[in-house]
Amino acid sequence: MSEADSIDRAAATATAERQEVGAEAAVAVRPPSSRLARHRRSRLDRPRFLYVVMAFVFIFLFAPITLVAVFSLNATHSLATFSGFSPRWYEQLIHNSALLSSLLVSLQIAAATTAVSVVLGTLLALGVVRAERRWTRPAQTVMVWPLLNPEIATAVGSLLFFTQFGLTLSATTVTLAHITWAIPYVALILRARITGLDPAMEDGARDLGATDLGALRLVVMPLLWPTIAASGLLIFVMSFDDFVTSYFTSGAGVPPLPVAIYSMIKHGVSPEINAVGTLMMIFSVGTVLLALGLFRLGRAATKEQAMLDLTGSGVT
Amino acid sequence: MWLVVLFVVPVGFVVAVSFGTVNIVGAPVYGWHPSNYTPIFQSIYLTVLLRSLAFALATTVICILFGYPVAYFVVRFGGRYKGLLLGLVILPWFVDYLVRIYGWVSLLGDQGFLNGLLHTIGMPGSPPLRLINTPYAVIGGLTYDYLPFMILPIFAVLGQVGDALIEAGKDLYGTPAQTFFRVTLPISRPGLMAGCVLVFLPTAGDFATAQLLGGPNSYMMGNLIDSVFEGGGYWPFGAALTGLVLAVLFVPMLLYVRYALRGGAVLSE
Repeated sequence: MSEADSIDRAAATATAERQEVGAEAAVAVRPPSSRLARHRRSRLDRPRFLYVVMAFVFIFLFAPITLVAVFSLNATHSLATFSGFSPRWYEQLIHNSALLSSLLVSLQIAAATTAVSVVLGTLLALGVVRAERRWTRPAQTVMVWPLLNPEIATAVGSLLFFTQFGLTLSATTVTLAHITWAIPYVALILRARITGLDPAMEDGARDLGATDLGALRLVVMPLLWPTIAASGLLIFVMSFDDFVTSYFTSGAGVPPLPVAIYSMIKHGVSPEINAVGTLMMIFSVGTVLLALGLFRLGRAATKEQAMLDLTGSGVT
Repeated sequence: MWLVVLFVVPVGFVVAVSFGTVNIVGAPVYGWHPSNYTPIFQSIYLTVLLRSLAFALATTVICILFGYPVAYFVVRFGGRYKGLLLGLVILPWFVDYLVRIYGWVSLLGDQGFLNGLLHTIGMPGSPPLRLINTPYAVIGGLTYDYLPFMILPIFAVLGQVGDALIEAGKDLYGTPAQTFFRVTLPISRPGLMAGCVLVFLPTAGDFATAQLLGGPNSYMMGNLIDSVFEGGGYWPFGAALTGLVLAVLFVPMLLYVRYALRGGAVLSE
């Protein structure tokens, strides 16, 4: 880190020097009218329309969810006019036993999905990074495919797959379907981290007499665990929030929470949905922030890089 | 050796389950029944397919128009708020998908917030403004759902390149427009391509947004598939519809993978 810093500083100094030289040269070479050109350029360098677009996008992004949160506290049934704070919709929520059992089902699904996919995803990531080349290419394709595939196609595929084998649709089938897309997710997040590890550390452990498994357990895993935990939290949220896959693979039993909410919305809006939605927002965002913190523990990265890696958008 | 064992087992698992996807057309039918596909070519279904693709295209274009400036702004002028701004962009994505759509329903609905607002500022008696159940509402909702997917990859690429090249373009007396089109845009192309794929593919397969924000006139392929499977229709036909979506979307997927292998950014997600 400090080394990179000093290089940055050196580069900055060099740039500054170059700019000074450049400025002198520009004064000498440029015709007088270039002052005008430069003035215009600096104004267009931060074009006002960018600020307008930014403001618009942020209003666009936050208006609907803010609205949901605010009206969850409304005293009346209206979603149009706010007539005072009241916890009544949250109270009603506590007594809605159908929704509560949906919540429980969703939590179970998310927990099981997280446990299985984190283990298998970690193994997959280790394998993809360390195995021979001829294995990794097809493996990477298989890894990325479920993530690019439209979710509805995967969901329908799972539905047919389960019914084919005579499995009754239930929370179990939902969990299996979630695990399918969760494994590649975990593997991709971890792959980035494992690639960044110095193989010399593992070699060193072996030179000191550790077995392959010993090196993995004593050297690699301690380095990986914050990332593993972060990806686990992320998968938990994604599984908890998932709608499309859950919708197609859940049967006649208690529906997972998002599916229950879907049918509630279909029947018409109600501040009770605002209340449950607000709670889900707080839960999801809190968990993701925790994951982000853990992820940064796992490697000295900038906040932005951590966000990119965690959402799988980092350039590899 | 343990590598091979630990590697093959999970991969095998993923392969096995992925094949569930591959088999969808053939599996429930057992045999070759291309007749399942014939009803698709009736005009109603083709209309729906074309509509899905048109919605997805419109959403992708809008996401570029708004996502690119945002990514550019955060990279170049974010300063020390870069992390915060990016976080704010991603944050809504982690809010449950249905809750987000519900936010739009409650904003645009006939009894919703905007109509309430219009009513208050003095349009009494007039019928509620038709905002929901329009194609615009669906495209708006889809844009809302997938905008972060456009911003993130562009941000990743622009952030990696940094200001130096853009500044260099200006030092070489490029006008802002020249610099943008000849320097900034070409270097960010991998991110842009990835963003387009990440927005276009899921949008074309989306169904809850069209279900809740659009009426029957803005149904997409996903709604058709849903109505077959959940409405107790003839499953092989639903499978054929899904197969069609897969086949159509396979083209951009393949193009993108080829592009990525030729040296563009390989994006996960």
